[in-house]
Amino acid sequence: MVAVQIEHLKKHFSVPQREAGLLGVVHSFFQPKKKIVRAVDDISFTIDEGELVGFIGPNGAGKTTTLKILSGVLYPTAGMVRVAGHIPWRREEEFLKKITLVMGQKNQLLWELPAMDSFLLNRAIYEIPKEEFKQTLEELVSLLEVEQLLTTPVRKLSLGQRMRLELVATLLHRPRILFLDEPTIGLDVVAAQNIREFITAYNKKTGATVLLTSHYMGDITQLASRVCIINEGKLIFEGSLAKIVDRWVNEKVIRVLLTNEPNMQELSEIGEVISYQFPRVEIRIPRAAAPGAAARLLQKFSVADLTIEEPPIEEVIRKIFTNSKR
Amino acid sequence: MLLDSLRKYYQVFVVSISEMFVWKLNFVLWRVRVVLQLLLLYFLWSTVFLQQEVVFGYERAQILTYIISVAFLRSFVLSSRSVDVAGEIRDGELTNFLLRPLSYIGWWWARDAADKVLNIAFALVELSLLWFLFRPPLILQPNIVLVLAALAASLIALILYFYFSFLLSMAAFWVAEAWGIRFLATMTLEFLAGGFFPLDILSAPVFRALQLTPFPYMLFFPAKIYLGQLGVGEVLTGFGVLISWTVFFVWAVQAVWMRGLRTYGAEGR
Repeated sequence: MVAVQIEHLKKHFSVPQREAGLLGVVHSFFQPKKKIVRAVDDISFTIDEGELVGFIGPNGAGKTTTLKILSGVLYPTAGMVRVAGHIPWRREEEFLKKITLVMGQKNQLLWELPAMDSFLLNRAIYEIPKEEFKQTLEELVSLLEVEQLLTTPVRKLSLGQRMRLELVATLLHRPRILFLDEPTIGLDVVAAQNIREFITAYNKKTGATVLLTSHYMGDITQLASRVCIINEGKLIFEGSLAKIVDRWVNEKVIRVLLTNEPNMQELSEIGEVISYQFPRVEIRIPRAAAPGAAARLLQKFSVADLTIEEPPIEEVIRKIFTNSKR
Repeated sequence: MLLDSLRKYYQVFVVSISEMFVWKLNFVLWRVRVVLQLLLLYFLWSTVFLQQEVVFGYERAQILTYIISVAFLRSFVLSSRSVDVAGEIRDGELTNFLLRPLSYIGWWWARDAADKVLNIAFALVELSLLWFLFRPPLILQPNIVLVLAALAASLIALILYFYFSFLLSMAAFWVAEAWGIRFLATMTLEFLAGGFFPLDILSAPVFRALQLTPFPYMLFFPAKIYLGQLGVGEVLTGFGVLISWTVFFVWAVQAVWMRGLRTYGAEGR
């Protein structure tokens, strides 16, 4: 079953432009200038039910705009979209009850009141039967460990606490499709890890489809089985993380821990030395040549330790972005 | 179905009341402003009547009853929190409502209902206190039909004002500074609605022109019905104009809302 289907999706915004300074103000008052921004520019992909897909891209790449179209908040400029069989921007009640959009930077919790008030409000809004509400709330509250926070006004809570409560509020109606927009933004390492673990557990337990944006690679590598990479409104890669490595990585990095000072001339004959700080050396080698190079290192130098590694995924993604710009 | 739907908005009502209690001081200060305004008008008109028995064709009791009934009407006809709609559109808070199966206009109706209930409660207490302190000569309308007609007119006026105010706020879909429009509108509205004096003391051509606009029907019209100063013909024509404007604004809000959503950028953070 296909949960999300997008074909040739486009969203263009017209954005007012203005020169800085007083003159610019006067000028734009009489002759306003507008620029068309192609936030999403012809994107197509599908997501199957139960999949957990990561959506990566730099700021302004069009990730959030895409999520907002998928959840029915924005009208697209062109293209076809089906989410759970619905056209999102019609915002049919049946559709809204199947989805949720969690925004890391925007809360739907009522700011002045304890979170429990927001939960009860959502219970009424989504018409959740009393028993079901009680059961879901108990599950979510214990999974996210927020028992102690339910009676404190939301504005008195920390960002991490609010994010966990926000997740409870947005999942009470048991949505089948989750759109998560930067759910770990601004959180410390521990809080971010808690959220990640929760998302994985929720996906496994309920079989809900998850589409997640983030610019923290940790979120993506840990969570997603498949990624879509988007830049300047265009989809530049779609597939598994392993496929990224196959397609974009043609080098490996050998890290060596030496016991004696090496002859630098001999060392650079093996491969490109990217860093040297005795006793540590990093050498870049074409993928196919890596095993041979490792053998030669062990032969010619006194080695305490040696590892062959893929370059970090961040670096790979950065390479993809810079290549796509050219 | 209907019951579930009612429960939704009832819950919004409950939450709104709870929120208002968080902002206790804010609310109390608002009511102090209202009372001061009423006292100002009361003393102003009392002074005018020191010299004369009849001013602009009104007797003292009539004017004072007018001022006080308008103060009461204002507490529930011209009280709407839909001013905040503009901010929610501009800052992208609207997104949170579009995501949930709930009518945004319904949400504001429920919030306003909470606001109006509290305002009416406070207005009743304040007016009784003022009556007790000053013992002004007030006219109690003996004709129950007129009282009911005044009540009906003010309920329709309340709907009219809600949609009028909502329409103003929706300017935020297109312009960033919707508050400017709002500022101008609230300043003129109270005046044109008859919030400071009965509008028929204006020169006849001005008054006739004003009667074609929606504003006099928000305060002046229901108050005049209560005072029993309108003929049957005038009351019926008045209701006709009032209902026409209300239908127009309800339609305009739906139409503008649909267009607004298409341009909505969900910006901000």
